[in-house]
Amino acid sequence: MNLEQFSSNALMLAFILYCVAFIFFAVGMAGKRWRDRDPVQHQARWGRRAVWLTMIGFAAHIIYFITRWISANHVPTANMFEFLTFLGMMIVAAFIILYLIYRTALLGLFAMPISIILLAYAAVFPKEVQPLIPALKSYWLYIHVTTAALGEAFFAVGFAAGLMYLLRVIDYSDQSKESRRSKRGIEYTVFAVVAVIGFILITNMFNSTGYTATFTHPMEEKDETGTWVTVTKTVEYKLPPLIVPDQHTVVHQDPFLGAQLKGLEAPGWMKGLNSARKLNTILWSVISGMILYGLLRLIVRRPLGAVLKKTVDGIDADDLDEISYRAIAIGYPIFALGALIFAMIWAHEAWGRFWGWDPKETWALITFLFYTVYLHLRLSRGWQGKKSAWLTVIGFIVVMFTLVGVNLVIAGLHSYAGV
Amino acid sequence: MIHNTKCECGHQNPVGTVLCENCGKPLEDEANTAPLEMRYDGVARRSQRENPSIIDRVWRFFSSVKVAIYLIGITTGLSALGTIYPQENTFLGIDPATHYAENYGVLGEWYYRLGFTDTFGTWWFKLLLIMIGASLVICSLDRVLPLYRALSKQQVRKHLSFLTRQRVVYRGELPSDRYMSGSEASGIQLVTDLTPLLKKKGYKVHTDGSALLAEKHRFSRWGPYINHIGLIIFLLALLFRGLPGWYMDQYIGFVEGEPVAIPDTPYYLKNESFTVQYYTEKELPTEFRGQGRMVPKLYETKAVLYECTADCGMSGVEPVLKEVTQHDIQVNKPLNYRGLLAYQFDYRETPQIRAIRVYLTDHKTEERYGPIELSTTNPKEQFDVGSFELILKDYYPEFDLNENGTPYTKSRSPLAPAYIFLMHGPGLPADGEIYIYFAREIDKQRFSQDKLNGQLAERFEIGASSMDDVSISQYTSYLNIRVDRVLPYLFAGGILFIIGVVMGVYWQHRRIWLRIDEGKEITIGAHTNKNWFGIRKELADVLQKAGIRIDQKQLDNGGNRK
Repeated sequence: MNLEQFSSNALMLAFILYCVAFIFFAVGMAGKRWRDRDPVQHQARWGRRAVWLTMIGFAAHIIYFITRWISANHVPTANMFEFLTFLGMMIVAAFIILYLIYRTALLGLFAMPISIILLAYAAVFPKEVQPLIPALKSYWLYIHVTTAALGEAFFAVGFAAGLMYLLRVIDYSDQSKESRRSKRGIEYTVFAVVAVIGFILITNMFNSTGYTATFTHPMEEKDETGTWVTVTKTVEYKLPPLIVPDQHTVVHQDPFLGAQLKGLEAPGWMKGLNSARKLNTILWSVISGMILYGLLRLIVRRPLGAVLKKTVDGIDADDLDEISYRAIAIGYPIFALGALIFAMIWAHEAWGRFWGWDPKETWALITFLFYTVYLHLRLSRGWQGKKSAWLTVIGFIVVMFTLVGVNLVIAGLHSYAGV
Repeated sequence: MIHNTKCECGHQNPVGTVLCENCGKPLEDEANTAPLEMRYDGVARRSQRENPSIIDRVWRFFSSVKVAIYLIGITTGLSALGTIYPQENTFLGIDPATHYAENYGVLGEWYYRLGFTDTFGTWWFKLLLIMIGASLVICSLDRVLPLYRALSKQQVRKHLSFLTRQRVVYRGELPSDRYMSGSEASGIQLVTDLTPLLKKKGYKVHTDGSALLAEKHRFSRWGPYINHIGLIIFLLALLFRGLPGWYMDQYIGFVEGEPVAIPDTPYYLKNESFTVQYYTEKELPTEFRGQGRMVPKLYETKAVLYECTADCGMSGVEPVLKEVTQHDIQVNKPLNYRGLLAYQFDYRETPQIRAIRVYLTDHKTEERYGPIELSTTNPKEQFDVGSFELILKDYYPEFDLNENGTPYTKSRSPLAPAYIFLMHGPGLPADGEIYIYFAREIDKQRFSQDKLNGQLAERFEIGASSMDDVSISQYTSYLNIRVDRVLPYLFAGGILFIIGVVMGVYWQHRRIWLRIDEGKEITIGAHTNKNWFGIRKELADVLQKAGIRIDQKQLDNGGNRK
């Protein structure tokens, strides 16, 4: 077994331990209503076990990180797989730090799934160690990416606590307009998470069966002399094509469920190289998300928010509000340092300008400004509780868009980190 | 409307004061028992002046946090819109007026018309940044001075209603097992007992008989102002960048082996050699192999920087250059000489002759003279070869003939170098003979060098002996040459910002007021600017050690938690 292999085994172990820890957190919560036991003691015991498991998992995760660093000879935060794995690790770290401050083990019930989902999502991307291109050869790769990720991890935990707060205070029997709106909001949030899970399941499924479909399609491009020419581009799909490029030709297409799928042509205005493929991916995640969500709804026969609400019964709502806010307050300067200041220093060294309004840079600034607004609203305008919790949810969407969405949808200079 | 702003303790407060500056008694709404608004300790701010003048109104506008939040929010939204389509500066040589309509349709056209194709350079975006700057300055000034005044002269014994209207409150009797109730001395004893406990938690404790004020981490109150100062420095530095001499940005191609002047500076830079390396198949992950994928490993320009001391930028005269530094420029490793920065930006393969060493062969005597070196960029004008003299009459870097058959050069790049010599020496006419020499074999054939030279070609031959005599420059390296004098200020501002934020959010200013009335009634009020959970826990902990058992939750007096 070589070091790279050992490293990925350690990661697998961390992933499994996180999953078990999550189950323990859930047992701690659900078991409160079991017979012949003291609910407080039961929850404390299982909470402790879960936190221990989390810490052992974290240790395995660190072993993965170090061994991969050694075998790759550069810090493993250089591509999407490595970055998402690292972010997952940082989220666990942020959870552990907040646990040590507040001793609220139940935070893990919502924080761990975020890390688990990110690790599973990382598996969608190519896992092999890649050599660094010249632009990435800098110790700022270590410093900029790691600090930015740690800041984002705190935002993620802030989101977990914010969502718990919302679930805690919402009253599912209340039919008032405001309450109905909150319920809808929570259900959308849950659906978004389920859609991500659905997408991860479906992609990993097709990846493991090795599904491919290849198309060529014409694309207008400006050549060196500035005249428009039509060139033929090749696109490879890893998911069955529901949407195919405009005016495409099939080069090769695996059958899906025994049939040759005939996809819809992407609208003519979608001219980008991979825009049809990206639209196809988005469509698949929505469909798989809807199926998964529908199945879950069929099983529980209630809004999923109402089920989740049960898990946060008995936690002090104000404590959740406080934890959520503190997570963001801790993460804010770390994020600003990593994603803006260090980013500027590196950009200055690598590209000769500290700021260029590249989409990734701009979105890092947007994230920063968003949380600046959050802090001002909370500290100066007295926004706390629900309003503030909703902001943490929106904030997390902004963070995820900056990390993943920009690479998928907009791209730009940072696209080497992308798919 | 004139308020009576004199407090019952005798202190005269400025108009707009909410809590007496001296004893803390609420001056308005006295019957209320809800937790107090403790912001800036209830002192008056300039923005709360009555009968405002125009300046006061502007001040009031920018001093509002609500306005600041709107400004930040609008900037956030517009920035997001600015990432929908690539900005104009990501394209080279396009006409934005047509480009966006052609590529992105109607939406693209409107994107251009509304100015979003250059969002971050528009007047409205800059105006927003300036307004945020103004808001930063005014918000900070409006608050920091009164706050400083309030915190630098604090009364230990505060009004009872100031304590009971805090958000963390404890009211109770002296624990009878330890203290004798009803005596002034027991109150003082409790204060004395609590002092070391609070000190252990890091508080500075001030006592006044049976009253106590414990305070810690006051410096964290200055955090927001320090981070605002950092941001102001940052924004000012951006403004200063517009001044001449503070900022320069140019892209220059450097062909190997030739010092090139950097415009607007006394410097010349020479690209000694340029290297590009790709990863070998073995270094690539297995999934990349066999696809012919070229993953670059290294771009490097070995650069020498010269300072020109005389004859700079004059045509026909060799400038006097003094070497000042050498650096191997790689991506991420720019050359930096006194603020002049050179970045590896791009490269092009541009094979061309840099110089050629040639010999003069006299076929009559079968003797070979030389070598002499012919530069293709700046050849010498006179050569002595054996007993012969060659005078360079004319030099064409890229030789060609026009329709009339007259020679001219197509460009300044040495793509087809041709040298026209006037030869003097034994056996030649007194006023010399013309000899034309093409450095490239292909040009020799194309323009029939021997025919042009006529009889002279039979006697003399100029040429290199082997390829070793030809020095070729393979690459032109494009460097981005910059001067950015505001960088230190930008980074200082950024770091100051971070320090301020860390001060403000990682520490909290906590104060605990305690008074014992009639020797038995304990009243404690506590305030923090953040993290109420923390201060309640701390207070409950201290009280427990003093024999008063209470859960942190019971200290919560409600009200907004920040």
